[in-house]
Amino acid sequence: MIGFLQPWALAGLAAAAIPILLHLLARREPPTIVFPAVRYLITTTQEHQRRLKLQNLLLLLMRTLLVVALVLAAAGPTLPLGGVAGHAPSALVLILDNSPSSAAVVAGSARLAQLLEAGRRVLGRATPDDALWLVTADGMPRRGDRETLREQLDALAVSPRRLDLGTALALAGEVLAPEARPGEMVLLTDLQASALSPAEVGVPLVVGRFEEPPPPNVGIARLETGPQPWSSQGGRVALVLAGDSGAAVPLSARIGDRPARQALAQVGGTATLALPGVPSGWWTVAAELDPDELRLDDNRVGVVRVAPVARVTWDSASRYIAAACEVLASSGRIARGGEVTLGRLARGSSVVQPPDDPARLGALNRALAARGVGWRYGNLSIDPVFTDSGPVIGRERVLRRYQLQSTGSGRTGVLATAGGTPWLVRSGEVLLLGSRLEPSWTELPVSAGFMPFMDVLLNRLARGEVTLAVGAPGDPVSIPDLVTVVRQGEREWRVEGGGIFRPASLGAHYLIAGDDTVGAISANLDPRESRLLPAPDAQVRELWKDARIVPLAAAEGEVFSAGARGDLRGPLLWAALLLGLTELGLASALRRQQ
Amino acid sequence: MTAQGALTSPVATGYVAPCMYRPAGHTAPPRLDLLDPFEVSRLGGIEVTTEGVVEGFLTGLHRSPRRGFSVEFAEHRMYQPGDDFRYVDWKILGRNDRLYVKQFEEETNLRAMVVCDSSRSMAWTGAPDTTLPKLAYAQRLIAALALILLRQRDATGLITFDDEVRNVLPPRARLSHWRRLIHILAGMEAGTGTAAEPALRRVVDQLRRRGLVVFVSDLLLDRELALKALRFLRHRGHQVVVLHIMDPAELTLAGPAEARFEDPETRAAVVLRPRDWAGAYRETVRTVIGEWRLACRRHGIRYHRVTTDTPYGEALREALAPPPRLA
Repeated sequence: MIGFLQPWALAGLAAAAIPILLHLLARREPPTIVFPAVRYLITTTQEHQRRLKLQNLLLLLMRTLLVVALVLAAAGPTLPLGGVAGHAPSALVLILDNSPSSAAVVAGSARLAQLLEAGRRVLGRATPDDALWLVTADGMPRRGDRETLREQLDALAVSPRRLDLGTALALAGEVLAPEARPGEMVLLTDLQASALSPAEVGVPLVVGRFEEPPPPNVGIARLETGPQPWSSQGGRVALVLAGDSGAAVPLSARIGDRPARQALAQVGGTATLALPGVPSGWWTVAAELDPDELRLDDNRVGVVRVAPVARVTWDSASRYIAAACEVLASSGRIARGGEVTLGRLARGSSVVQPPDDPARLGALNRALAARGVGWRYGNLSIDPVFTDSGPVIGRERVLRRYQLQSTGSGRTGVLATAGGTPWLVRSGEVLLLGSRLEPSWTELPVSAGFMPFMDVLLNRLARGEVTLAVGAPGDPVSIPDLVTVVRQGEREWRVEGGGIFRPASLGAHYLIAGDDTVGAISANLDPRESRLLPAPDAQVRELWKDARIVPLAAAEGEVFSAGARGDLRGPLLWAALLLGLTELGLASALRRQQ
Repeated sequence: MTAQGALTSPVATGYVAPCMYRPAGHTAPPRLDLLDPFEVSRLGGIEVTTEGVVEGFLTGLHRSPRRGFSVEFAEHRMYQPGDDFRYVDWKILGRNDRLYVKQFEEETNLRAMVVCDSSRSMAWTGAPDTTLPKLAYAQRLIAALALILLRQRDATGLITFDDEVRNVLPPRARLSHWRRLIHILAGMEAGTGTAAEPALRRVVDQLRRRGLVVFVSDLLLDRELALKALRFLRHRGHQVVVLHIMDPAELTLAGPAEARFEDPETRAAVVLRPRDWAGAYRETVRTVIGEWRLACRRHGIRYHRVTTDTPYGEALREALAPPPRLA
């Protein structure tokens, strides 16, 4: 199918009518000249009329074709042609998979080096007329000319972020969508089976992959630190391994700079290690494997909060609260005391739930105001909604709730929402619940998430802490209200509470609110990166229709020719030149004849 | 059509036209027979200017042996620069090593009839500011020719025609006859069509014995009929000279990008782009002239094409050139 690089230029085809229009316009009534030798003219025209008419028609045709050829050349027509030496101006997206798995070392060098070399060769085939983009694991399409993108390739390193290949192809499709030039995608990847996902590929796709199999690999897929906070007596971490190797491997874990504890574990198995007690505070737990061909997934970090359990005063009349607190107290997660008051407004930290009797709501609001709390209870809503999943609470049904209204005073923050509106909020030392913790208000007390919620509520939220989140670099992590800074070692990022933060690197990131550390994010590799086994070609073709899977070294030969379209501008310009010269010759010959 | 000059307009004494031919160092009055006909027409009427033309023409002849169809050898004279080598007496040169040329004298009286076309096409000129209409040129040429013939005491007559015969002046040898001839020429008006055959056949009535017939026309007529009549005259033993009068603008085709060309006689018209047809038209004219020339030669008729910018002297030489010797 013929295509055009600048299809709007086809409007110029109307200019092809100019010679014909001129011809028609010139046919107006001519002036009369008295000329005695008209008989000679009649003789002349009788003899030459047919030849001259033919010549004029030929000239008209030449001129029209000349205009058409020039206009078509301006529109940049292209045709699918096989085996052409050059290629039509194309739009090419080069997707280079520099995800952590590309750091696997084979024959003494990282696989990324081969990918980069193949990428350079692909770019080497581009021409200045091509539109080029580079997409890497950071998911950001970069446009540039051949040299610019080559420089970017030279500076490219292994990214800690996973690259979902289907997402990358979809992104490339979006990039190419507005392009008039014929589009093409080249994906250079280790083609991990775990990175594959479906994608609609509307343009030719060349997939360059390694021919040799990946090295065997084991990585730490998960590090679980259990309920927080830990007591000063220490705690346990659970480690889960992932990878392609079946052999048992030694692993170790340490908290802070305390001596490491070691164990032996297999892929898919869980190793639990008891870590020694440490003083109160925020601590980093690091787990480690013996090095293998992919070093990046041999380490993993976690963050634990070490603190005494909360001392709580609760109202025994509230059946569900009392039952939960009794269980937490019996398991050592809380103790009786006056540090946190649960259920009503009191001195110190308080977790307030709305009164059962609406008549007492006004007095409560006045007390809240008197305490300087920046929130008050508003109208009662009885339409059922669900809480919005977050680090504090999962998805729970809420039957009745009071609207929590900000009065705009004090340091406030929303900790959980239901139906998009605040449901659990903080103002200083006071936490306000939108619903009473009873089944007639919310199904939370009778759900499995109630005990973890109460643990977090009393041990962390009521004490000013917010969250312990985990994620991979690049993943979006919700930043709780009041957080102003994210810190990793010496590096700091200014953030806005309630927004999104994407860890750029591996390791522990601490959330700072004012002078207090209120949470942490553990950024580790996506565990899927540890499984290096490539997807079979059949699966790739099934997911991405018409994908041409070639060895990495052959990708440069397939690129552009996969969607190669012969550029017809050159032939058209030659044709126009030929037509112009023919027209000139014909017109000159006619003039000579005259 | 350009207006005719007055018959009695005097020649401006000492007037020298800018383009007048005059040899360097020569103080003689300018020769009108060598001037541009349009310039000559500005000097006066037919009668006066014709006399000037003829005087000039004859002066030129005196500088060289007389040439003509009614002369015989008379005597020798010393060769002068400019004399035609054809008349050098080579025998005397061989004997005495001196250059002599032969001189001729007039023969017995000749009877000549001039047949002039006065159709509408003859009234046309392509450049009214610089070129005489064909008819005006023909009038002056015929007047000059008649004066020369009459001075040789050759009887000269005139027939004019357009779509019919308009004037018939029988041939007479008296010099005063020229005045009558001039009178007819000056009174000629362009007619409508062209019918040459009747006029040519009327010549037979006027020339009882063999004589000279000069046919002056632009030949925009029925060629076959005209040739038939000319052949008839030739058959009767007359010498026939055809002077094909053409305007220079008739030799080439020019005009605006596209024009409607209309025949003044037949009103026939053709619309074309002169630029496209100029070459072919030129070829057609060349062919037509060639056909006339060939047809005339085939029947012993002398044909001369004369354009209206040709000086009268040159045209007269063509008209009065001796007939080719036939085997």
